[in-house]
Amino acid sequence: MSEHKKRSYMNPYLAGVLLGVVVLAANFISGRSVGSSGAVKSAIVAGVETIAPSHAENALFYKEYLSGHKGNPLNSWLVYEMLGVIIGGFLSGVISRRLTWKVEHSPKIKSRTRLIFALAGGILFGIGSQFGRGCTSGSALSGMAVLSLGGFISMISIFGTAFIFAYFFRKLWI
Amino acid sequence: MGPLVVNEIISDNTNLLLAFFIGIAFGFVLEQGGFSSSRKLAGVFYGYDTVVLKVFFTGAVTAALGLLFFSLFGWIDLSFVYVNETFLHSAILGGVIMGVGFIMGGYCPGTSFCGAAIGKIDAMVFIVGLFIGVFLFAEGYPLYEKLYKAGYMGSPRISEFFGITEGLFTLLMIIAAVLMFWGAEWAEKKFPREEY
Amino acid sequence: MKNISFTPRMLLTAGLLTLGVIIAAVPKNTTKPYKLSAKQILDELKSGTQYIEPEQVAQMLVEKDPFLQLIDTRPQNEFEKFSLPGAINVPFDAILSDEQAELFDQNVRTFVLYGNGTTQANEAWMLLRQLGYNNINVLRGGLNYWAEAILNPNPPAGITSNDDLARYNFRKGAGQALGGGEQPAGNDVKPTGGQKAPVQPPKGKKKKVAGGCS
Repeated sequence: MSEHKKRSYMNPYLAGVLLGVVVLAANFISGRSVGSSGAVKSAIVAGVETIAPSHAENALFYKEYLSGHKGNPLNSWLVYEMLGVIIGGFLSGVISRRLTWKVEHSPKIKSRTRLIFALAGGILFGIGSQFGRGCTSGSALSGMAVLSLGGFISMISIFGTAFIFAYFFRKLWI
Repeated sequence: MGPLVVNEIISDNTNLLLAFFIGIAFGFVLEQGGFSSSRKLAGVFYGYDTVVLKVFFTGAVTAALGLLFFSLFGWIDLSFVYVNETFLHSAILGGVIMGVGFIMGGYCPGTSFCGAAIGKIDAMVFIVGLFIGVFLFAEGYPLYEKLYKAGYMGSPRISEFFGITEGLFTLLMIIAAVLMFWGAEWAEKKFPREEY
Repeated sequence: MKNISFTPRMLLTAGLLTLGVIIAAVPKNTTKPYKLSAKQILDELKSGTQYIEPEQVAQMLVEKDPFLQLIDTRPQNEFEKFSLPGAINVPFDAILSDEQAELFDQNVRTFVLYGNGTTQANEAWMLLRQLGYNNINVLRGGLNYWAEAILNPNPPAGITSNDDLARYNFRKGAGQALGGGEQPAGNDVKPTGGQKAPVQPPKGKKKKVAGGCS
């Protein structure tokens, strides 16, 4: 571990403890924990409701969502939290001078390839997070903090699968 | 005392405002930890950078420990803290799909927002993908509604599942995490990568 | 790094393991913390929100409101002599027993505590509220006032407002329906006339926690 390349990031263990404190604070204040994919879901429901109201009334997915949630889908805990994440990430980038327009990839591939895989990965993650009822933050991290069985199942299947498939996608990263 | 919103110490609107501040802290910590970089995130699967593993597991055990101590001191009533529901089949299926998405996209949803916030274009494309993915799921939902709701197990805690106390399970989790950190630092020395 | 004795990982390991051993060794905290502070109880007592009017209870009885549950806090022998229809006997000294905890620990039914007066019912109310149970009410005036107001209402004297007259009529109707006068109430209660007072549906106060990513 050479020191110079990691200098600009916080020590991972310290960052981990702080992350734990954030999760703890969320549980203490709101009785729930952080999540991300739920905000995307709220945005999709709100978008479909605005653009195609009749479709939102008839399609099962939106019907189930709207019957379980009152008011505007965007007026939800997760949406406010994710707005905060964007601002928090930005502030951190400003402080540590990491604001750059950049496509990050292995030197062996082109930016275009990276972006195609990023899009595909995003689509898969979007679908998977709905099946999993939450993503790495909402299901795995938050679930593990409250010792939820589902959280551990999510964590093991996400990281386990990624490890198994890592070999096939190694050119993207190393 | 806690959770504050359940015991009506704060109102619903204050709760939403605080969600915003919790989000800021969450995003800040993720970015400071290096979660805004996809190559750093993917590094854990090749052993050249295990920051994800360290931050993620340290965070999980710290929060779990904190909740148990808060409960011990009577500061929080754990029976009012949300425990994720477990739907066995769709949890595993979802996890597998997310795992493939993770290694292809290099981000997970939380970190992609974080990366996008500091100008990572791949993160923004990933977010576009997320929206498409959720929309596709929503449109095809009737096809797999049965699967989505199969294997319902309630909201069990893993300690109940193994029949041990929460404290003991947390200790085991800490030991596992510490061993992983040790292995991770060993792997970082074994598979070093140049600056990226 | 080699010369420095503690790396961050070692510090973290030491800290987490210590706390982990402590949390594994101590028994889980099972004491139910008091849900309301003494001050909150005082505020509720001062504003008298715990009281429910006899008219409202009579109305609910006449309508056979399925959510109403009358709780008689008097000793068993007194309960056997006379009780309100549908009431169950939970003597004051048994109010904290485990069976009662199961009875009260819910958000659906409206409980109405009563004794001869209100002292004992109020004491029971304070205990139950401190334990965090919701929808606990005290019958205003207890049985003494009930007998006076519902079972043997006196016609208002002299010049009275329409409100007083309406209340009297309602009480008379309800009193008859509930076996007024001398008879303990039977099970076969038929609704008669009487002014309809709107009955508030019981509502749960404790919020369900939402969470996860869905």
